[in-house]
Amino acid sequence: MSVMAFSPKKIKKAKLWLISALLLVVLAAVAYTFLYLKHAATMTDVGNRLASPSWEHPMGTDHLGRDVMTRLLLGFRLTVGYSMIALLAAVIIGVPFGLLAGLRGGWVDRLFMRIADGFLAFPDTVIAIVLSGLLGPGIGNLLFAIVLVKWVNYARMVRSTVLTEVQKDYITIARINGLSAFTIMRKHLMPHIIGNVLVLASLDFGKIILLISSLSYIGLGAQPPTPEWGAMLNESRPYFQANPEMMIYPGLAIVVVVLVANILGDYLRDKFDVKKEVQP
Amino acid sequence: MILSINDLTVSHGEKTIVDRVSLTIDKGEWFALVGQSGSGKTMLSQAIGQLLGPNLRASGSVSYQGSNILEHPKTEMNQLRGKAISYIFQDYHGSFTPFLTIQQHMEEYLQTHGVKEKKKRKNMIKEAFESVGLDVPLVKRYPFQLSGGQLQRASIALALLLEPDILIADEATTALDSVSAHRILSLLQELQQKTGCAILFITHDWRHVARYADKIAVMKDGKIIESGSKQKLIHQPEHAYTKQLIQAAPTLPMRIKEASKS
Repeated sequence: MSVMAFSPKKIKKAKLWLISALLLVVLAAVAYTFLYLKHAATMTDVGNRLASPSWEHPMGTDHLGRDVMTRLLLGFRLTVGYSMIALLAAVIIGVPFGLLAGLRGGWVDRLFMRIADGFLAFPDTVIAIVLSGLLGPGIGNLLFAIVLVKWVNYARMVRSTVLTEVQKDYITIARINGLSAFTIMRKHLMPHIIGNVLVLASLDFGKIILLISSLSYIGLGAQPPTPEWGAMLNESRPYFQANPEMMIYPGLAIVVVVLVANILGDYLRDKFDVKKEVQP
Repeated sequence: MILSINDLTVSHGEKTIVDRVSLTIDKGEWFALVGQSGSGKTMLSQAIGQLLGPNLRASGSVSYQGSNILEHPKTEMNQLRGKAISYIFQDYHGSFTPFLTIQQHMEEYLQTHGVKEKKKRKNMIKEAFESVGLDVPLVKRYPFQLSGGQLQRASIALALLLEPDILIADEATTALDSVSAHRILSLLQELQQKTGCAILFITHDWRHVARYADKIAVMKDGKIIESGSKQKLIHQPEHAYTKQLIQAAPTLPMRIKEASKS
């Protein structure tokens, strides 16, 4: 069978299977941490430090004798959870501002968009580093910085969607027929917006995980002994040469989760792409 | 007299788009407003329903049932819209929310205007659909599943659902081919006679005017330059611009017309 035998349809199907399988693994891992944990994430056992894999410790122990697998699984929950929180906050703040700016127009619009332009003028990472540097290291401050950076994207996108849709006759007709502004927003505008927000959010999800992990790695985010992946990478740096697996596990975990998030984002984007429907 | 417009002016900053326009529309009348693109026809029609954009200002008066609706507060205007004044537009695809079926649109409007019983709503929708000559099952379709002519019919059904006193048709047939356009026009005429609603028909096409209108007003650069009954305007146009408009309308030569009759 040649490579050409993989039709776009087959690839798409394979992609869907891959997402579902990986998502299932992620969910199972998260569920597992809630149900049963053999070791506490912060329980040190210095006598048994840097141990090789065994039945007791399937991924070995770290430099303080903590079980790596337990920390990795809890890191799942933390990293995914933190990104979810950041993402949700960004959406919750960004969408209403975008709606307001798009619907009200005038000085409200101009003010918000200039603020947004200000944020967009710098790369996300730079602003996040500066903010969490100013506020002091810590996961709370890091999340705050990420939300502050990310809400702008949602506000802008919602605003542009609103602006293009509001001009169309169906909105005028809804107004003519006596519907209130709120009803028009909820029933005639929201479905347009939700699709776009969902796609953008799933594409952002991977980026936020990376941002949290990388800033934790350089010591601005989660602090030890929190089992956050970036922090775990940071902690295992001195042992890189003798015990490389300590870095490989959290590193791989980040790669897999970001990959899943990106594939999911791509899939949703294809799914909601209106332009594609028009093409034969 | 159902609607009377007095000295209506629409301006955008310093620029005047509609300049002191006055006209009266009688009950059940087909009033045609003719003019080329950019003459301010659409602005005039939008000013009537308080639909102007935030940068546009309307002054003067539009009286409906003895009160100036330009000064109506929002809530009162919402009640009036749909019930008293209704619109159909040129862009029939844009006239419907893409992810709602025709039925969902109609249900929504009936509910907003206080038709509570489901059965009654269903009957009203069915009647409206039948009256515009569409198959009732089409009501469950999404807008993109209907053809242009069908959609424009559906938008007429939607506009007439609450039996408005006046229907404003803004270039309603411009985007349709000439056969569909004539079908829509004769449908409008038929519905007008049945329901007794007045039609403010906005167009640039003299052919539609000559056949269906009762009264005609010609608009140029924001002003009404000539108005009167159809007979008067077609046979004794006073203004040079009106003559120009009549001449610009493509007509079939007499011989072909006669040949097609026999």
